[in-house]
Amino acid sequence: MSTKEKLIKHVMEGEPVGSRNKVTVVGVGMVGMASAVSILLKDLCDELALVDVMEDKLKGEVMDLQHGSLFLKTHRIVGDKDYSVTAGSKVVVVTAGARQQEGESRLNLVQRNVNIFKFIIPNIVKYSPNCIMLVVSNPVDILTYVAWKLSGLPKHRVIGSGTNLDSARFRHLMAEKLKISPTSVHGWIVGEHGDSSVAVWSGVNVAGVSLQGLNPDMGTDKDKEDWKSVHKMVVDSAYEVIKLKGYTSWAIGMSVADLVESILKNLHKVHPVSTLVKGMHGVKEDVFLSVPCVLGNSGLTDVVHMTLKKSEEEQVVKSAETLWGVQKELTL
Amino acid sequence: MSSTLQKLITPLAEGPAEPPRNKVTVVGVGMVGMACAVSVLLRDLADELALVDVMEDKLKGEMMDLQHGSLFLKTPVIVADKDYAVTANSRVVVVTAGVRQQEGESRLNLVQRNVNIFKHIIPQIVKYSPNCIIIVVSNPVDVLTYVTWKLSGLPKHRVIGSGTNLDSARFRYLMAERLGIHSSSFNGWILGEHGDTSVPVWSGTNVAGVNLQKLNPEMGTDGDKENWKEAHKMVVDSAYEVIKLKGYTNWAIGLSVADLTESLVKNMNRVHPVSTMVKGMYGINDEVYLSLPCVLNSTGVCSVVNMTLTDDEIGQLKKSADTLWGIQKDLKDI
Repeated sequence: MSTKEKLIKHVMEGEPVGSRNKVTVVGVGMVGMASAVSILLKDLCDELALVDVMEDKLKGEVMDLQHGSLFLKTHRIVGDKDYSVTAGSKVVVVTAGARQQEGESRLNLVQRNVNIFKFIIPNIVKYSPNCIMLVVSNPVDILTYVAWKLSGLPKHRVIGSGTNLDSARFRHLMAEKLKISPTSVHGWIVGEHGDSSVAVWSGVNVAGVSLQGLNPDMGTDKDKEDWKSVHKMVVDSAYEVIKLKGYTSWAIGMSVADLVESILKNLHKVHPVSTLVKGMHGVKEDVFLSVPCVLGNSGLTDVVHMTLKKSEEEQVVKSAETLWGVQKELTL
Repeated sequence: MSSTLQKLITPLAEGPAEPPRNKVTVVGVGMVGMACAVSVLLRDLADELALVDVMEDKLKGEMMDLQHGSLFLKTPVIVADKDYAVTANSRVVVVTAGVRQQEGESRLNLVQRNVNIFKHIIPQIVKYSPNCIIIVVSNPVDVLTYVTWKLSGLPKHRVIGSGTNLDSARFRYLMAERLGIHSSSFNGWILGEHGDTSVPVWSGTNVAGVNLQKLNPEMGTDGDKENWKEAHKMVVDSAYEVIKLKGYTNWAIGLSVADLTESLVKNMNRVHPVSTMVKGMYGINDEVYLSLPCVLNSTGVCSVVNMTLTDDEIGQLKKSADTLWGIQKDLKDI
């Protein structure tokens, strides 16, 4: 008898149940790994799969995470360039693709990332036809549209990480100015995850007190306190961090884990994420933009209808037009 | 004309803000430092996190990236500066600064380069946080923990090396995988040097109190048909392997440091294999740092567990100690 047989007697008959809350992360770059580690440290899944084309890097990352198993509650961590390793995933996080260089806008990455997606997306769906796909790669709104088209999945199961991060940055910056916790400052950034995002100043509040009610100039150029600069800082955030450290990873990783948590735990929490907004707020095309959405284990089940001011609605339509301008040139 | 802030909020408490109670500093924002920082943040261990490094842009970028995630965290203050004043009043300081192993390079090779860096870092840490506990992570960790102890003037119970906490975690993972159980259900200790001469205490390996070496007396020897010894060899090779594949290691060491930090900050009295001053134990007569099972709480290393080791295992520890002392005695200006 082997040592194992002397120690342990297998008493169950039949096949083991396997994982029930599997998460896959596609792409083991800085964003993919930050997402993976955030998900692991929040104990969200019972199996984590990593996929990438760079085999050594992938294997090294899988090993490094496995070596931390003692400190984690995710028993199975696997990785392979073959997508069969992702089979049966509840959520698939897509971070693969080229990233912004210093000074480069997200829209510039489009065609390069579309080509990568043409390989990735069908493979994901082949092995996890019932999954919920969370697209992170930039430009996220366009690539969520692309993922939706290439996957054939219903729109409630293809979600873009969108302005979940922008809103988190906004709430952090507002909170610093007000000297309270970001969780106590409510504010939503919607629309494009990028240069034309829309800060809904009319909704910004603390304990239900509308800040714009206290300061009607808030968010405009006339405002002596220049609150509008907070939104500008959010738009500039990624460029700034990229300039300083070469890329951004931690904040987006944590924001992804936040979304995965709502999905896997069926929280019905409202997040600003990118979804098909055709027919809302005057948008006429098949465009994905961030609006407040209810997330649960079925995916993106409902959209909260925001009461926007006319100028805010115009900005959303303008975002949509910018994105459609790029989308219609794509060869899918 | 009152500002928006004044209209919104009426202050009630007077006086200056309270200082942090559980401040953690991480020195070095390379891959290991940031993995430690993120693990500490995601485990909600600190009420303030400070980062220090000499590379100012990288430091500022990392700080901003973490701050942007503050909505998802429970650490309200995240600061960073190349000036150590930002680290004042830390309870725990994690030192990850220094050069790291290149592919194929042993940890001992890094020594003198890292000693020179520590001569600048350690006095600054102690200046601003005289009551802190220092966790040294930079390699070769046992030698550098000794160096830190000397340079800091702190009592030995407040200078800890991350030591074989990671080796033991890797060992438990690899052994547990072979047995089909979770790492936390496999008990096994690797002691001594965090490196090529680490000592796996096969006589202590057990699951649910069942001693494995009693089930298989050959376990850990070359004669063992099941070759369990290979698990230890894989642990020793782990870092080299991961470095070869991805260029460095960071996640596992980051998680292991957060595990130690938790015991310190929460005063848990958990036993961890960490590097401590072992002169006087197991016949070791030199001032060397080696990993032994230590009880960690808010004072630091409050006590050491006297493991029952075989003569052979004690011999290996002494050999480790001699190797390390051989290096330490040649170090300049500490």
